[in-house]
Amino acid sequence: MRKHLLALGATLAMSPLMAQKIGVINSMSGPEAPIGESITNGIKLAEEDLAKKGIRVQLVWEDDTGKPQISMSAMEKLATRDNVVGVVGPYTSACSNAVSKLAQKYRVPLLIPAAAKEEITRQGFKYVFRMNAPADRYASSLIDASLTLGKPKTIAFIYENTDFGTSTSKTAKDYVATKGIQVVADEPYPKGSADYRSTLAKIKSKNPDLVFMVSYVADAILLMRQSREVGLQPQAFLGGGAGFTTAEFAREHAISENVISCTQWTDDVNWPGARDFGKRYKAKFGKDATYHAACAYESMMIMAESAAKSGSDRDKTQALLKAGKWNGIMGPVQFADYDGFTNQNNHPMLVQQIQAGGYETIFPKEFATKKAVYPFPRWK
Amino acid sequence: MAVFLQSLISGILIGGVYALIGIGLTLIFGVMRVINFAHGDILMVGMYLTYILFTFAGIDPFVSVLISFPLMFIFGGFLQKVFINRVLNAVAQNQILLTIGLGLIMSNTVMLIFTSDYKIITTSYSSSTFQLGGGVSVSWPLLISFLITSAITAVLYWFLLKTDTGQAIRATAQDREAAQLMGINVKRMSIIAFGLGSALAGTAGALISPTYYIFPQVGSTFTLKAFVITVLGGMGSVVGATLGGVLIGITESMSAAYISSGWKDVVVFSLFLLVLLLKPSGLMGKSRT
Amino acid sequence: MTKTLLKAAAFLAILGGLLALPRFMDSPYALHMMILLFLSVSQGESWNILGGYAGQHSVGHAAYFGVGAYTTMMLMQAKGIAPWIGVWAGVAAVIVVALVIGSICFRLRGPYFVLASIAVAEIMRLSAINLTGLTNGAEGILVTELPAFRIGGRVITDFMTKVPFYYLGLGLALLTLAVTWGVERSKLGYYFQAIREDQDAAHSLGIHISLYKNIGLVISAVLTALAGAFYGVYVGFVDPPTVLGLDLSVQIMLIAIIGGMGTLYGPVLGSLVLVPLSEALRSNMITDLLVKSGLVSADSKVGLFLKENLAHAHVLLYGILVVLVILFMPEGIMGFVKKLASRRRKEAV
Repeated sequence: MRKHLLALGATLAMSPLMAQKIGVINSMSGPEAPIGESITNGIKLAEEDLAKKGIRVQLVWEDDTGKPQISMSAMEKLATRDNVVGVVGPYTSACSNAVSKLAQKYRVPLLIPAAAKEEITRQGFKYVFRMNAPADRYASSLIDASLTLGKPKTIAFIYENTDFGTSTSKTAKDYVATKGIQVVADEPYPKGSADYRSTLAKIKSKNPDLVFMVSYVADAILLMRQSREVGLQPQAFLGGGAGFTTAEFAREHAISENVISCTQWTDDVNWPGARDFGKRYKAKFGKDATYHAACAYESMMIMAESAAKSGSDRDKTQALLKAGKWNGIMGPVQFADYDGFTNQNNHPMLVQQIQAGGYETIFPKEFATKKAVYPFPRWK
Repeated sequence: MAVFLQSLISGILIGGVYALIGIGLTLIFGVMRVINFAHGDILMVGMYLTYILFTFAGIDPFVSVLISFPLMFIFGGFLQKVFINRVLNAVAQNQILLTIGLGLIMSNTVMLIFTSDYKIITTSYSSSTFQLGGGVSVSWPLLISFLITSAITAVLYWFLLKTDTGQAIRATAQDREAAQLMGINVKRMSIIAFGLGSALAGTAGALISPTYYIFPQVGSTFTLKAFVITVLGGMGSVVGATLGGVLIGITESMSAAYISSGWKDVVVFSLFLLVLLLKPSGLMGKSRT
Repeated sequence: MTKTLLKAAAFLAILGGLLALPRFMDSPYALHMMILLFLSVSQGESWNILGGYAGQHSVGHAAYFGVGAYTTMMLMQAKGIAPWIGVWAGVAAVIVVALVIGSICFRLRGPYFVLASIAVAEIMRLSAINLTGLTNGAEGILVTELPAFRIGGRVITDFMTKVPFYYLGLGLALLTLAVTWGVERSKLGYYFQAIREDQDAAHSLGIHISLYKNIGLVISAVLTALAGAFYGVYVGFVDPPTVLGLDLSVQIMLIAIIGGMGTLYGPVLGSLVLVPLSEALRSNMITDLLVKSGLVSADSKVGLFLKENLAHAHVLLYGILVVLVILFMPEGIMGFVKKLASRRRKEAV
């Protein structure tokens, strides 16, 4: 009898009909919750689409509240108590750093959807994978785009003094140094300041050719509003991802028109299913899909498919993730080893500009939908 | 020169709103000696009220003050009557923890209702300015909110000096027991003080809404700022809080322009510590002994 | 006499159980929760010495936690100094920091002391963000590789499992308990209490107020820094908001207040309540429990609602808990238990 049961168990485990137990670690409450919500929504859409494909998943949701030690609690629980096949998450770089060590230790495949810090996939961890392009790509794509559009000589930086803002700007400063562009202002600001006018006035007095900003949506709108107020007039405003790539930002026509930004994903790019994903997301959640949502969606799809194919086996899932190639809403995905990275998807960043209230891709050329407006027109 | 003038002007204008937040806190502290850690969260509730009125009823944020002021007054009175009243004689850290707990309840209830998305109120005048010449601009919405703040402060000052209730509040703030002996209903004064403090915080929330943004955790930044302003001016002093607010606005603005925006809060906190050490009663406060 | 013996026996039994636990419990998740519990006990006890016994309610203990964590991690990352050596540099640094903070804050009383302690901790946090050359700024410090711990060339542990951290945590918790016990029974405890009850009266009794306040602060700060170093090494990552934030200062204070301030076992009780509770709320175990016990069906509207919202609502529930404890158990759980016991004793008489 016991033998039979064991045999039955084994076949059930092999069968794709059995639900794949997959963990999700995400910042569902706490200061990172606004973005955590996009990630949750992306994963919920993935759950539906997986069911349509005949892959049943049983998701174990864990909230890390944005704190690394809580993220570790979640990973310990998922790896040793819930026995999940793989984990998608966490959102923040701090949490991802803390968790990736454990993923490697317990040999649980971990697919990080949207954390930007480069180091995460530079530690040689075989069980840690990352979907999004790391922070250095934000900067290089934007600077490369500006250099093809004009001849900027000086640049000013203003960015939130968080992990994301600091690391993105740091790589940007390194990158402009190699291109002979001079940094004339370097202003990290604490998130949630009500007044950036004095900082912007100071930047204006330096008359930079480029203004490089890294902020989330609320500060992005505030910074541009106040740039207009003080009459800051560079050749281009460059937004390093995040807030500058949201629909809310684009809707603020008066201040967002012609701002150039880079993103991991937009719904107008010609990657299979991207447009459709944007539409369905909007219909289901009543707001526009962000790149965080798209990264999370694609990460869950890939993790669940690999888990099902492996018959709920962690090592086999890891091997499948390492060997696989996909082409979905995030374009071609492959977890490769290059430039010191391990299992890093070499994802192309898209450079876009807001034209007539919508995002148009302007760089790299193969994805461009419109010609760029350069330099930035005079404020009205 | 343009940088200096621009920083000075926006510092003063922002400082006006800070002053309103500080006055609310100083009233509460003056009357009850309770450090209200939920002050920023009360301001946040005021912001959401403004947001609801603007989005669903189309009421302009500046006009909505007329509705949110009384509503926030009732809300504050309720908090005082149900919660704060019970810990008036408790040790300080219990009072602090109670208000922290209340703040957590407020911000997380709002988060459940509105999600944690950032809300931005965009009015036709959100980034409108007029030029002063020499490349210096003044933001219209900031100027309007500064004028409203000044008007409210003037009315409040008149209320505290000239009306019976106002005088009773001041008496309670000076010496709770003596006030009680003189037949002042101290409990009622406490409710009025907390109500007024909340209404002022809520109003400040409404006034910065057109130029700022709203999210459930927005409160904590303002709580700390309110403490600094209140201590700077002297706890319990309305004039002090007004001066303190403007002073902090200018300090932030100037240190962002001439030191670095990253260090501006360090400058503010250092100034705060200096005042505590050199003149612990604050700029306008009377000696505490 | 028998009561003391009984107490000692109970303590030894619990200690023996805790020492033997990793032999019987091989779940790393459970060990991790125990480690968090020990960390919480150490934080609460350390705060308790200054806040509970000497009555100086600091809301800035994150500063000491952060200095301990940062110094140890910085030395490990930049110079490759092993954490059990680096931590002593952290202790030295925290003594200097504590004395500077003490010289500023102890001139103030009551609410002014509280606000000053917050301001100083915030300055430390902002400095850690801005001094990027020293602290790596907002990006934080990541150290994943720990050197093996050797004595005389023999490897004692290579830190590959949770077990060494478990014993380190246990040791740290015991150390803070022992120091608290020592303070409580010594003259120091008596002076602290005198200062807490009435500072002016204590002064007229000839007690050197600022000296004893500073002694209390240094003891408290050093123990907190040890806890910070332990946290940094265990998690492998520190950044300004997690080890220097105001949230952390409040959390540390909460442990002692919920459990019962100025009592030896208060912070232990507080940790026993707070750590499991916040984990249960966070990971939605309560919904699972309700579903498993058959009280709520998983697919029913209530079940789905709980599943959707309870994880988001855990901070809300936390807030409600704090409010309820302050209103109905102002002396913490320890005070509540004592009150119940004395009432029963009176009834018996």
